[in-house]
Amino acid sequence: MLARFDELLARPVSMRALALLRVLAGPLVLLHLEPFLTEAWSGETYADAFYEPYAGWYPEPPEAVYIGLLGLAVVAATAMSLGLLTRAATATTFAIVAYNVFLSTTHYQSNRAYLIIVLGLLVVAPCGRELSLDAWIRRRRGRPALDASAPGWPLWLLRFECAAVYGASGLSKLLDPDWFGGFVTWKRVTGAREDLEAWPLPDWAVSALTDADFHAVAAKFVVGTELFIALGLWWRGSRYAAVWVAVVFHLAIEAAAAVQVFSLLGIAVLLIWAVPSTRDRVLRIDPTSVRQRRLGTAVGRLDWLARFRAEPGQPGAPIAVADRDGTALRGGPALAFVLSRLPLTAWFALPALLLPPVRRARRAGRAAIGEPAVAKGPVGGR
Amino acid sequence: MSPRLTTIARRVAVVGVVAVQLAFVARGYRADHKQFAFQPFPEASTWRAEIVRVTTDGRRIPIERPWAGYRWEELVTDRGLSHPGIRHHADTGLNNQLAFLDSALDWVAANTPRDRETRYLEARVTAWHNDDPPHERTFRSPEREGGG
Repeated sequence: MLARFDELLARPVSMRALALLRVLAGPLVLLHLEPFLTEAWSGETYADAFYEPYAGWYPEPPEAVYIGLLGLAVVAATAMSLGLLTRAATATTFAIVAYNVFLSTTHYQSNRAYLIIVLGLLVVAPCGRELSLDAWIRRRRGRPALDASAPGWPLWLLRFECAAVYGASGLSKLLDPDWFGGFVTWKRVTGAREDLEAWPLPDWAVSALTDADFHAVAAKFVVGTELFIALGLWWRGSRYAAVWVAVVFHLAIEAAAAVQVFSLLGIAVLLIWAVPSTRDRVLRIDPTSVRQRRLGTAVGRLDWLARFRAEPGQPGAPIAVADRDGTALRGGPALAFVLSRLPLTAWFALPALLLPPVRRARRAGRAAIGEPAVAKGPVGGR
Repeated sequence: MSPRLTTIARRVAVVGVVAVQLAFVARGYRADHKQFAFQPFPEASTWRAEIVRVTTDGRRIPIERPWAGYRWEELVTDRGLSHPGIRHHADTGLNNQLAFLDSALDWVAANTPRDRETRYLEARVTAWHNDDPPHERTFRSPEREGGG
């Protein structure tokens, strides 16, 4: 048991998703720092108004040093995103963001805690070996690229933290009779009825949203959604659905409440649920077809998680894709499948996988895996 | 580091982080400040407070009136505490909100050196926890050394 646990933690996996998350984390850190920087720009800091240190021993810098640290965090977050001196930049960003949040109890917000966790795990993961200036500089100097895979434990830990965020939230609401019964959301919405009526909503929608019975059902739906995300992310069969629902969940929260960087961070972290292996799907493009070549270029540019490797297909053949298990698709179903695996288009394309023609094509593709003609092909192996 | 030490360190780090995270989640059900407990939008509770400065000669002066060059809303700018006289939603729960209010009284009492007449600050809070009837609580800052 312990040996299997150790094997899981040490198993080399692709750090691509964490590298992409690192790139996205930089702008999120800048957004997070924005209110502190705005305050500093106007000559104020946290210490000029009510704040509450966690502990008397926690060091508080002079104002100029504090503002300097915020500036350093901006530089470090930018370098982290660009992948320049990646580990040092990420560690500096993490240290300053965490230090600042823990300066005062008033600085704490859940989204900031989540950001600290993400940054902390990016520090320990070697996620600067690709999608980084460090890797580019290394190539320019003619040095061999570093192995982009590494022991998977930081990725597993971040997955745990990601699920914990949804799970803890859902569980707390499930255990609270006021929340689960719908009173909390009903009271909040009716309390903001004037704001609601300012929205371009029909009267029946406003009536429904301020109806207690509606909230008695909606609250259970919210709790179920959070718990589904928390649990559904762990199984391959439900993972894509959980990711899709999570995106909707975050967009809904963003529309309804001020949650700072939580929505963007939550959506960005969903990247880590991609299977941590790269270039294990093959996209076959007809090199004689301008349309397919363009599509291949677009996929190449949007394939931030490096899911596909492109190979030339037979002239005149439709676009084709082979999944990592060998399932072969061609034409429309192949296109839907490819788009469902690209971060920017996945949310829009995933529902297309449920369409009957696509489902039929995937079933047929799976059934054909055992056939010699496919099995002997360049990606026929599982 | 030897492979065996690396394995042990990895194991300890992962189990440690998981354990600490679960402990924070559990702590969130009791603590006023729910760090790393991830319990957003916990309540529909509301509150308001009448805060006064009690002077050395016994006067009770609302903090809505500026004093000694200070304004409450400039001293307490965060966590929805700037205008305590207006009934507010307790964004992160009532206990959390009132813990901040209590701390804010202490901070203002300790960080208004030009004020030489206030003995302490006092907040009479009316709080509505979700659908429960209102309940009242009183918070007081420590006695100020510079008062009077």
